[in-house]
Amino acid sequence: MKLFVPSPGHIDSLKELLTQKEKIYSIFMAGSPDYIGTGRSNLASPQLEDIKEQTEFAHKNGVKMELVLNSSCMGGRQLTPEGYRTNHWYVEKLVDIGIDSIVVADPYLVETISRDFDVDVVVSVLAFVDSPQKAEFFEDLGAKSIVIDSNVNRHFDVLHAIRDSVDCELKLLVNEGCLYRCPFRYAHFNFFSHAFGPEPRPNVLDDYYYLKCLELRIENPELIIKSPWIRPEDIKLYRDITDVYKIGGRTHFVDWILNCVNAYYNESYDGNLMDILDCPKDLKDLYNIPNRSLDGILEKQWTNCKKVCNKCGYCRTLTKKVTQVYSNGGTEHQMCLPWDTIAVKT
Amino acid sequence: MILEEILKNRAGFEEKIRKLIGRPVLLIELDMFALPCGCSGITANMRGLEFDDLEVFEQQILPLVKEMAENLGVKPTVTFARLVPGSSIVASLNWRTLCPRCYPEFARGAGKMPRPDLYMLVFERRK
Repeated sequence: MKLFVPSPGHIDSLKELLTQKEKIYSIFMAGSPDYIGTGRSNLASPQLEDIKEQTEFAHKNGVKMELVLNSSCMGGRQLTPEGYRTNHWYVEKLVDIGIDSIVVADPYLVETISRDFDVDVVVSVLAFVDSPQKAEFFEDLGAKSIVIDSNVNRHFDVLHAIRDSVDCELKLLVNEGCLYRCPFRYAHFNFFSHAFGPEPRPNVLDDYYYLKCLELRIENPELIIKSPWIRPEDIKLYRDITDVYKIGGRTHFVDWILNCVNAYYNESYDGNLMDILDCPKDLKDLYNIPNRSLDGILEKQWTNCKKVCNKCGYCRTLTKKVTQVYSNGGTEHQMCLPWDTIAVKT
Repeated sequence: MILEEILKNRAGFEEKIRKLIGRPVLLIELDMFALPCGCSGITANMRGLEFDDLEVFEQQILPLVKEMAENLGVKPTVTFARLVPGSSIVASLNWRTLCPRCYPEFARGAGKMPRPDLYMLVFERRK
């Protein structure tokens, strides 16, 4: 198994992460927001000398280093002569530093970086590769690896079709808790790309997409059950597709990241599923979904799921069975109650 | 002691709102604040609370916000909800003891929404 593990972006995080280097194939982290930026929120702004120091430290410990430059919107700047020169200069510096791979979402960057530089180009999950045709397209552009759109993590027919269509490496993002077929996905990542990209950055007080996403799942936790995460125990069902897995969560503490690393490395986790999901981190203090209560569900139900929820109702019933709500949190009276004892509408 | 009170009130307020609206809303952070202008008060950052809930259950929510202020020793001039601009999402509930400079901003006009993102629950108008 090859585990790609997030780093918040500074050397202290990396040193802590690599105390468990035997479980980690590659670290990934964002670069400076001043050039290409990233499509997700970010805690650090490592400059080239920081990246160099961290890359050397990772290599010294036998771990690869991947830089994530997966902005989903650059406002066309990448196509201007100045934008091209700046991005090209930045990638050249990263390659000189010895970065092993660069993750991008824009097809233009996939083509130009793989043509002009001796570095592995990885197609980001934010390129939304959800079909064999898209996978072939990106492989033809020069991609060495593709992170498959997590929306199809439970579409085994599509996953197998992609595997059969390309020779490049495939990666699965295992712990993203985003809404299945999320309607905010494009707008939200475009927003992040500007908020965590070059100036000018929007000064936004409230992230509507995030808050609305939470609101929907507070109203209906079935949306958490339907999210396309892959439990550590279910990795074994993906072995004929890939053995390369990416753990999301570069805005978390190292302790949280290592908890995920151990869960996926050991293919086992005894605890609240919400503890290892990256995205709705606010909801880990609301819901308790015992991971073990989902044993066997993927194999029994979701591998053949037709995704016609209104005619099925399996996830609705499962949600009522396994979801608990923390009550009186943070006090001596804290307890877990079945979700349907609190909710009156679904 | 004050921290224990804040923890207790966070949980208590959350439980009461959940029972009222029948949804496990989350009071994700309860803060007491002081601003450089002289305003002070409490902020309850909410997840899962909607503008409709305030309109439908306002009469039932009012005693709860009053109780929270009393429990934490705050005498708010104004208690209001802040909405995510242009949406129905309630980002926070706020209890604010207004300073002389900020008072006129809230006091101008008589409607429930002195600004499109603010919904007034209680306003103690000066005589």
